Amino acid sequence: MSEALGRVVATERKPNTPHEFHFWTAIDSPVGIGTIVRVDGAQPIDGQIPHIYGIVVEGFSYTDLQSPMHDVLGHDGLPTTAGYAPSERAEIRLYTAAVLRQIPEEPLQPVPMGQVFLADEADVQVALRMDSYLREGANTGIPVGVYRAGGTDAVIYLDADFLLGPEAAHLNITGVSGLATKTSAVEWLLSSLFTHFPEEKGSIAAVAFNVKGPDLCYLDQPGKVEESDDVLYEKLRVEPKPFDHVEYFAPYTAKGLTLNTFRNNEELLDKVTPLTWGLREVLQFAEVLLNKDDVDAKADALIDFIKENVIDKEFSDPVLTKKHRVQSFSDLDAWFRDVLQGMEKRDGESWRTHHVATIRKVRNRLSNISTRCAGLVTDSGEVSDLPFGSFSDRTVYVVDVANLEEDAQDLIFARIVSKLREHLERRDLGVKHLVVFVDELNKYAPGDGADTYVRKMLLDIAERGRYLGLVLFSAQQFRSQVHRRVVGNSGTALFGRMDADELSTPGYAVLSPATRTKLATLEKGQLMIRHPHFTQPIFVRFPRPSVMQGREGAERYPQASEISMDAAVLRTLRQLDPTITLSWVQETTALYNDEEIVRARNATLLARPDNVKAYFTAQFRKIVPAQTPARPMAASIKSAPENDPYGF
Amino acid sequence: MLSTNSAPDPAGRAALRMLMQRLPDVSVIDGGYLEPFTSSEPPTLRAAPVVEGSGMRAIRVPDYSRQTASSFGAFLDGAQRVQVVGHRRGIPIVYATVSAAIRVRINKRFVTWGHRPPLVARRFFLPFRYLPELAREVATGEESLSIADTSRADINGQFPSAHPSVLQERAMRAVDELREQLEYTLAEAWCSRAESPLFIDGGTSGNPRVASSSCAIGVVKSHRTLHVDDDSLSIVLGLTLGERSPVFRVAPRSRSAVMSWYLRVRDATGHDPLWGLVRVEVAESTTPTGRANEISRWVMKEMSPLSLPDGRWDKMSYGIRDCEEFLRAIS
Repeated sequence: MSEALGRVVATERKPNTPHEFHFWTAIDSPVGIGTIVRVDGAQPIDGQIPHIYGIVVEGFSYTDLQSPMHDVLGHDGLPTTAGYAPSERAEIRLYTAAVLRQIPEEPLQPVPMGQVFLADEADVQVALRMDSYLREGANTGIPVGVYRAGGTDAVIYLDADFLLGPEAAHLNITGVSGLATKTSAVEWLLSSLFTHFPEEKGSIAAVAFNVKGPDLCYLDQPGKVEESDDVLYEKLRVEPKPFDHVEYFAPYTAKGLTLNTFRNNEELLDKVTPLTWGLREVLQFAEVLLNKDDVDAKADALIDFIKENVIDKEFSDPVLTKKHRVQSFSDLDAWFRDVLQGMEKRDGESWRTHHVATIRKVRNRLSNISTRCAGLVTDSGEVSDLPFGSFSDRTVYVVDVANLEEDAQDLIFARIVSKLREHLERRDLGVKHLVVFVDELNKYAPGDGADTYVRKMLLDIAERGRYLGLVLFSAQQFRSQVHRRVVGNSGTALFGRMDADELSTPGYAVLSPATRTKLATLEKGQLMIRHPHFTQPIFVRFPRPSVMQGREGAERYPQASEISMDAAVLRTLRQLDPTITLSWVQETTALYNDEEIVRARNATLLARPDNVKAYFTAQFRKIVPAQTPARPMAASIKSAPENDPYGF
Repeated sequence: MLSTNSAPDPAGRAALRMLMQRLPDVSVIDGGYLEPFTSSEPPTLRAAPVVEGSGMRAIRVPDYSRQTASSFGAFLDGAQRVQVVGHRRGIPIVYATVSAAIRVRINKRFVTWGHRPPLVARRFFLPFRYLPELAREVATGEESLSIADTSRADINGQFPSAHPSVLQERAMRAVDELREQLEYTLAEAWCSRAESPLFIDGGTSGNPRVASSSCAIGVVKSHRTLHVDDDSLSIVLGLTLGERSPVFRVAPRSRSAVMSWYLRVRDATGHDPLWGLVRVEVAESTTPTGRANEISRWVMKEMSPLSLPDGRWDKMSYGIRDCEEFLRAIS
């Protein structure tokens, strides 16, 4: 057994309670804020020596000096002379610890006097109640980091049942930007989750929305791992390697030539799938893009009418000049034009109870969507989407929306999450559990401001997702500014280095001043964890993720700039058929306009045919080469019949 | 020496209960505290022969600066806590806890000397002469309580009267002697190991071995007896900061002879003349000047850090304060 490092003390002014106790240590003891200690009581209770586990939440140091003035006087007001004093004043290190667990748990009594020991790895497991879910045969522990204090290295596990449901679920990360805490923590945790998530609990995948910068764009590329990180990886039993299975999705740029992602370097394009949606996909989520001012009851009724009766159906009406089958935004615009012209001809103010002004307004708003979300929403109606229904186990699907307008980001988020939810409800997503990672929750689920569609969706996931296997991993800089029900429903919370202003908000009042100070000064790779099994927050270290960091990736694989149409097509088709050359592309597309070429390229990419050249060529309309009309044969002068008596 | 008066500790209360079983008619009283013993002798001037030079004068301690190092390796002090816890037909029942400890300085911080643990004694100080039934039990060895008799005859064969004040004074004197005994026990042990110089709170002349040991240095803070004559008094009282008197020889009755000198360790401007004045006692030496200068530098050095909030901080070294705080904690 290790030596005692402290003794419990209690005075009338500062008594111990069942939830808090005080102890002193030698000045050079390794105790600090966040250290887990064990108290061995002296008197047995019901025949059992009580063991109390606590975590240090506050520390005090003082000497026998009654007034600072005495020290000034003692050194003649010269700080330099203090070093010559032959003796140091008697000094104390007094700590306050919050109780993590008492054994026996009943009767719950104030912490008794006793010796204090540094908790070893076994003590840490008991103190944090991890022993309940690290049992042989029923191990649901997911390593989240290593607790370190005074030579003790103890792996801290989260309970998968409380991280991914069904008991509790969701995880929220808070920390200042720029310290590689939030993204790194999620990358590391996903690695650990994919490694340690129990097989018997089923398959798991993750959808990560990359909302800013290139951080999540190189998850399949190896990153630098320091020696100290290797030690942590070994301790945590996770292999330091990039993710084996990552798929990227990104819409095109507004011009439609290149993918709108940091990962559009030619060397990395093979794992990037275009994300394009047509009218049908977008109209389901029209309310994401149309605010309440846009969509009043009348406009809503017209949109519903279009969804029910117009989209993907043969639609005819006396007011229309022809039958319409609306499958794309361009079809829809043609339909609107026909309806409005028909009304004008008939001098009518309403059509099928819809006023002409409402029709014009809805036309304006809907037509606008393809402009606002150019690159994502196609006029032609082609759809390239996430593989809903065939999600793979231990795969990360990254949706890169970092370079998109806010509207497009909202639309993507709303539709993908809705689809995920639908599939999970039907149990046909392809995996049983799905983690959705969303950064910048301040923006998507703010505590105040308008009640947006996206916020409603996030609230829905937070409150009901765990029953479906849909788990939200969210991150933000300012937890206090996120909707309380979103963070409140997160069973597990991680905290990186925090901003002092944020720490001064009421939500952190439950933490001791020392713990708040520690939070404000955490190093990279350190986290404070709250988890349902832990009665107090715990500090851990986690290894640097073994994937390429965003900045390094951006330098090594520079983002492709806008290129010519031919080069864009070549780049895309070469992924499918490396023999394709620029001259072939130029020759094949020479007679067609940009819109046709993009459509042909997208269709080829979507179909991934065996014969790429033939398929691509077949997408273009036939152009018959101009031919010189044959000269009509000159009528010959009829000769007189031989037997014509009048002939000459 | 630390003297405190407070309610008996748990051990004291238990002892009192046991005593009451033997003396059922003891009346327990609360708050019967005894002031620290003050000698009945009046303050006096008692000239001592100067052994350094020809007469009393102020000598500037040479080579003292902030960088001066102190060679004291340990500090010794004793403490006593005395209380009149009851009386029996006017006879005071005195209970005392007496302790002593050596605190060693390691890396500028103090720890208890490992070779000899602190000494703590708890006992009643009772006049057996006026409590005969108790005296009989003690005489037959049946008494398990630790009791000291305060009614023995003095060197003149005189027994103390039953006057409560006389008996209390006798008890206090016995407590003092016990404390001194504990202190000297530790000092002897220290000196027998010939370790670094020991700073002793108080004189060293009460114990021959200690008084003759070069590693025991006594620093006396009280000046009930000033070892100067009338003419030299103004010189001693006029010592300024960093000045000392010549070394003189002190040889009290029934005590050992030691070398001694006065030393001003704090600037007394604005204070009474005895403020910041200590008297140092060391074993006799053939080089009194060098010894006095060297030890004076150490003693002055030990005045930092200040011993505030102790009221005697003007004369008290921080090491002695640490001893007192330690003894207060354990006794």
